[in-house]
Amino acid sequence: MKSEHIWRYTLLGTLLTVFAGSIFVRLVSIQLNPEQVNAFLQQRELYAWIPHTIQPARGLIYDRWGNVLAGNSTVYEVGIELEQVVNPHTIALASSVVLGLDYNEVYQVASQPASPQAIYRVIADLVPVDKVERLTEYAKELEELNGSSRDPERASLRGLVFHPHLQRSYPEKELASNILGFVGRNEEGELTGYFGLEANFDELLAGTPQRVLVPNDPIRAEQRPNVPPGSSLILTIDRTIQAEMERLVDRAVETYGAESGTIIIMDPESGDVLAMATTPRMDLNEYWRYGEIFRGSTPFNRAISQAYEPGSVFKVLTMAAAIDSGAVKPDTIFLDTGVFEIGGIYVYNWNRGVWGEQDMQGCMQHSLNVCLAWVASQMGNSTFYRYMEAFGLGHLTGIELYGESSGRLKVPGDRDWVDADLGTNAFGQGVAATPLQMIAAVSSLANDGKMMAPRIVRAIVDKGRQFETEQRTVGLPVRPETARIMTDMLARSLEEEASVALVDGYRVAGKTGTGEIPTAFGYTSNVTNASFVGWGPTDDPKFVVYVWLEKPSASIWGSETAAPVFAQVVERLVVLMDIPPDGVRPVIAGQ
Amino acid sequence: MDRVRTLTQAYTQAPWRRQLQILGLFLLALVSLALVAIIYLSVTTKAATVGRQIMDMQSEIEDMETSIADLETRLAELRSATTMRRRAEEMGFYPVEREEVEYLVVDGYVPRQAANLAPVPETVVAVAASLPADYTESLLDWLRLRLIPALRRLVESQP
Repeated sequence: MKSEHIWRYTLLGTLLTVFAGSIFVRLVSIQLNPEQVNAFLQQRELYAWIPHTIQPARGLIYDRWGNVLAGNSTVYEVGIELEQVVNPHTIALASSVVLGLDYNEVYQVASQPASPQAIYRVIADLVPVDKVERLTEYAKELEELNGSSRDPERASLRGLVFHPHLQRSYPEKELASNILGFVGRNEEGELTGYFGLEANFDELLAGTPQRVLVPNDPIRAEQRPNVPPGSSLILTIDRTIQAEMERLVDRAVETYGAESGTIIIMDPESGDVLAMATTPRMDLNEYWRYGEIFRGSTPFNRAISQAYEPGSVFKVLTMAAAIDSGAVKPDTIFLDTGVFEIGGIYVYNWNRGVWGEQDMQGCMQHSLNVCLAWVASQMGNSTFYRYMEAFGLGHLTGIELYGESSGRLKVPGDRDWVDADLGTNAFGQGVAATPLQMIAAVSSLANDGKMMAPRIVRAIVDKGRQFETEQRTVGLPVRPETARIMTDMLARSLEEEASVALVDGYRVAGKTGTGEIPTAFGYTSNVTNASFVGWGPTDDPKFVVYVWLEKPSASIWGSETAAPVFAQVVERLVVLMDIPPDGVRPVIAGQ
Repeated sequence: MDRVRTLTQAYTQAPWRRQLQILGLFLLALVSLALVAIIYLSVTTKAATVGRQIMDMQSEIEDMETSIADLETRLAELRSATTMRRRAEEMGFYPVEREEVEYLVVDGYVPRQAANLAPVPETVVAVAASLPADYTESLLDWLRLRLIPALRRLVESQP
């Protein structure tokens, strides 16, 4: 080694030693300073893991036979990774042509320079798979054409990325939409159930999302937790019956020029709701159109949310209560003079007529307000309202749907109750009930006096197990004999009137209702609520039907509008529910 | 003194031999270190590969779950009430009217059953814990149950 080079080596050695020494000193100083140690550890943790939320698939909703009414389908979030963008013009053009986005807006986003604050920008969400496939194919063609060139003059879709995720999907579109509700984003941008079952069972259907940390270092990769999907619901609804009832209700609304229509079908023995069709309805896959379809205060589901004065269908409950309490008997004679004074007001018949001597069947058959007001007066306040409460009026039925209304039953003691209410309530005025409350109450007469709570969820499937919901008995508002007397009385009423509600081969019981609508200036007779409640076959009731047409313009009378709809409903029901005619059933049972 | 030197020379290793030993030891250490490094690198690489595979598979599972959900819904769309009705009408079918239905008795006919999509929860039957007799019987019980029958058999077997 030449001596003149020694100083160079010495200098290099010294510098390296000082450098190594300074690193060592720094290391020691960091180790001795807990704050710095923590800061470094935090940084290590920050960059070692990527937080990821595993969103479980939303539970499905099935009809009673296992047909999917609400499922999930893949949609895409379309975004731009700004660092990767080569040609903003191509991205903006393709997005506007395929996705229908505004060219200028997308161009502006795609032209942003990438920075720690601007790495990725979302330009569209809920994009269906076919549109994403078109964009992907176009991007591939451009790549093949231009290779890996990053020339900004060349067309390229680089930077445009697609992230798949599941979105609520309703394969039946409008069918049972009023029952199902929909899933949309709330103000915080979170997916939330709105109306119906989606709102009522939101947490159960959504499942529990789980947050996990995905390591950047593959050596630290661990098995991710198995996040179970949300619970699924099996309904009592029969898809075919529901579809038929929706078709019939639409036709009835159109034929009779009604503002809205509602049909409910219930199994009186179990309380199962087989169909609940109402208007308007919406394609749940286009939930953003909710505002334009349900204008103003239009309820999402009239069957449960809109209480109205039911009119004469209410007489069924009044008469049942009177017979059950012993206030009258079926053969009790009432002399109808055409007017009855109660609580300082005068009650008249629907045609202002005088009907003379009538037994109780006559009172029901001719729907005499005067007679029913007298019948209620024979019961007295406490008995009448005790029975009405037992029928569940003024209380929620407890159906598993969001937004149920309890209606209103004024009772003695309430500030706005007056003596005259007993007389008017007797024929369905001054009392407000939802169609569901009415059908639930009347169903007790079709089930030997036993009132079942209406049920729309038959079972819940959770973590691979099916849990049946229970059939709930609400009570026994009337005795079985009373229920049978009422069934016979109302069946004979229809037969003797030769009602249009009758169906060949099947004996049914029922009652029409024409309810005047209260306004600020009193009751108006030229717009009404037309209703019909009926059940059958009378020897072993399998269905209860409630029909309500709001403000029909073709005729104000329930007997001319709602009654024929009832007959159409029963015509379809007996076929769809495999109910043989009255004459055939005993033969089949005997074989 | 000469003898001592002679002896020392006789038992002292040659300098080249000592250098060779040091070099050998150094090389051995180096090779060992290299071996450890290679093994470590190999294990780490394998772990990283497996880790990456796990991550890919998890991603694949997520994709498949999404795809299954998607296909289920597409199937439901194809079998929706509206589609089925349209297809049936295209094939010449129409909804049967009440008067057209004829009811027959079919032996063994099982009416359509409501959907059962999963097994019902198992009923938990509480079973009282039963300990083996070895843990509960007393010495006297043991003698009565085992010794006495044995003695009886012995007596009976005597002529």
